[in-house]
Amino acid sequence: MTQALAYSVFGIILFGIGLFGVLAIAHVVKKILAINICGVGVFMVFIANASSGASPDFVPHAMVLTGIVVAVAGTALALSLACRINALEKLEDDA
Amino acid sequence: MTSGELIIDLLLGCGAVVTAVLCLTAKDLFQAILLFISMGLLVTLAWVRLGAWDVAIAEAAIGAGLTGALLIATRRQLSQ
Repeated sequence: MTQALAYSVFGIILFGIGLFGVLAIAHVVKKILAINICGVGVFMVFIANASSGASPDFVPHAMVLTGIVVAVAGTALALSLACRINALEKLEDDA
Repeated sequence: MTSGELIIDLLLGCGAVVTAVLCLTAKDLFQAILLFISMGLLVTLAWVRLGAWDVAIAEAAIGAGLTGALLIATRRQLSQ
């Protein structure tokens, strides 16, 4: 119970750090890092509440596994968009 | 639940939070990426403590490894 409470609090803190980073940082890749930190915070709250009983609940584990895969796919898409933005800015500077 | 185990949990959580803050306040992008990877590995240890072995393995392989590789490749493309 104490363990679940501690990890829930840390997950909420991580989500807050990530949200602040998304809103406050101008650099595009660091914004993507901040969104990933938000996701890690949400996953931590899920897993902490799944393990609060005597035996762990495996439905949140499955949801978090799916969430990790989807987060990597979204990160790859966002990073390719960042590369494209950089290429277009270079093209404008050359023209 | 002894107090020693709770100290381990608090250290892991505080380490993840501190690493996240350092990752977002780093000046160099490469430094930020390395700090993000180390945060992923600390969170992996936290999930081993919470009894989620499957999620821990997936996080170590995908969340830390694959995302780190993608970020380093992107940094290389942006800097050239």
